[in-house]
Amino acid sequence: MKVTAKELNKNKVELTIEVPEEKFEESLERAYKIVVKKINIPGFRKGKASRFILEKMYGREILMEEALQDAVPQAYQQALEEVKDQYTAVSDPEYEMVQMDKGEPFIFKASFEIKPEVKLGQYKELAVEKLSAEVKEEELDAEIEKMRQRHAKLIVVEDEAAGEGDLLTIDFVGKVAGEPFEGGTGENYPLELGSHTFIAGFEEQLIGVKTGETKDVVVTFPAEYQTESLAGQEAVFTVTVKEIKRKELVPLDDEFAKDVSEFATLQELRQDTANKLKEKAAKKAEYELRTTVVKKVAENAEVEIPESMIENRSNQMINDFAFRLSQQGIPFEKYLDVTKNNLEELKKTYRPEAEALVKADLVLEKIAKEENIQATAQEIEQEIKKAAEVYQQEPEKVREVLEKEGRIPSIEFGIMLDKTVDFIIEQAKVK
Amino acid sequence: MRNPHEVLLKPIVTEKTTDLMQENKYTFKVEPKANKIEIKKAIELIFNVDVIDVRTMNVSGKFKRQGRSVGYTSDWKKAIVTLKQGQRLPIFEE
Repeated sequence: MKVTAKELNKNKVELTIEVPEEKFEESLERAYKIVVKKINIPGFRKGKASRFILEKMYGREILMEEALQDAVPQAYQQALEEVKDQYTAVSDPEYEMVQMDKGEPFIFKASFEIKPEVKLGQYKELAVEKLSAEVKEEELDAEIEKMRQRHAKLIVVEDEAAGEGDLLTIDFVGKVAGEPFEGGTGENYPLELGSHTFIAGFEEQLIGVKTGETKDVVVTFPAEYQTESLAGQEAVFTVTVKEIKRKELVPLDDEFAKDVSEFATLQELRQDTANKLKEKAAKKAEYELRTTVVKKVAENAEVEIPESMIENRSNQMINDFAFRLSQQGIPFEKYLDVTKNNLEELKKTYRPEAEALVKADLVLEKIAKEENIQATAQEIEQEIKKAAEVYQQEPEKVREVLEKEGRIPSIEFGIMLDKTVDFIIEQAKVK
Repeated sequence: MRNPHEVLLKPIVTEKTTDLMQENKYTFKVEPKANKIEIKKAIELIFNVDVIDVRTMNVSGKFKRQGRSVGYTSDWKKAIVTLKQGQRLPIFEE
């Protein structure tokens, strides 16, 4: 097989591939075996006509289509293998047939986009800031207070006016211009005053009511309300208060600590909460650091990203998204319907993110190459073990499956990228 | 003698005759009144090959009916011609 490459432009290459006649003949023979079964020739039972009869009756072209279907991609793969040191294809090829006459070698052209050359900028000694993982006293207090709110007891109060933060059980009938409307009535509806779940002004007007009282609440729907027929309208809600519950906060003491946790004293609970917060902050700081570093390196580098790479990536992201939706039981088509989005627009919104990700990957890959960073066999082993734990399976089994699906290289790639980021951070001046 | 092109009517290409071609035998539909000698000469003249043997047979027409009308297709003569080893008839092949 003879392969000649021509660069069409910076990111596009055209290969001219020449397949020897004998090799192409094999494909034709295979094609004949398939085609002959489908074709009726008078004087022959189906599938029994010999090849020269078939070719004479219908011409060689009838075999071509079938033959090209496997001959072309096969030859293309081989050709890619031959030029892999220079080019890596990132898009599906476009084919153009050049020569397919009998008795001559078969020649075709394949053009595709290639992985672009990355011009690295500064990636060593980057000045980056790391968020502090310290936890302030106020944050801790707030966290404890949240716990306290969560464990507050609800006590039914009677003969007392409702105030902010109380939980009411109400019946209500809403009318616009004297007419009830859809969704405007409810029974035994729990409503927390000050939670702002109802239209602005509704909850405020209920402050001061008592159990058993009935009150007319007058509100105006906001101009941009989701139900268009109601937007901007004035409505009267007749509200009957059935019950008022008040949150009673427990005092912060060792008793509280025992109730909400396995700790015996408030001191211990505080300590534990502080540790947890610290851990969370540290994780966040680490994550932030990694993203900023990657972003900086990508910014410093220069790459001309082929359109197809971005396209592929955003398609992948949309697929992921659709998959997550379907896991929640929402079909993707329905989502598009409801949000009045279409696929094209969705793609557009994903585009910048996809571009950034592609660029980051390309740049990191280049740095890894430059610095000779590679994933070792042990690291891959470890990653597989981790996956095995998640799936609760034997590591060997998981490995087998991954190998079968050809996902080992992408795992390797992921580890390499991680290590590269580690390397950059190591080199960076972290403040 | 008859005009060679009037003797040979058309080659017959079927599963059976393609198998016979392995034995260097070629099959034709010929003029029913033609004899083996005429057929041999016609083949040698038109295709410029050597004929070793000619076997002929008369094929009766088939009974056919189309709705209420009944009848027969025409009778015809078939000739199987054996060529000298290594010679071929291009009309059957590309």
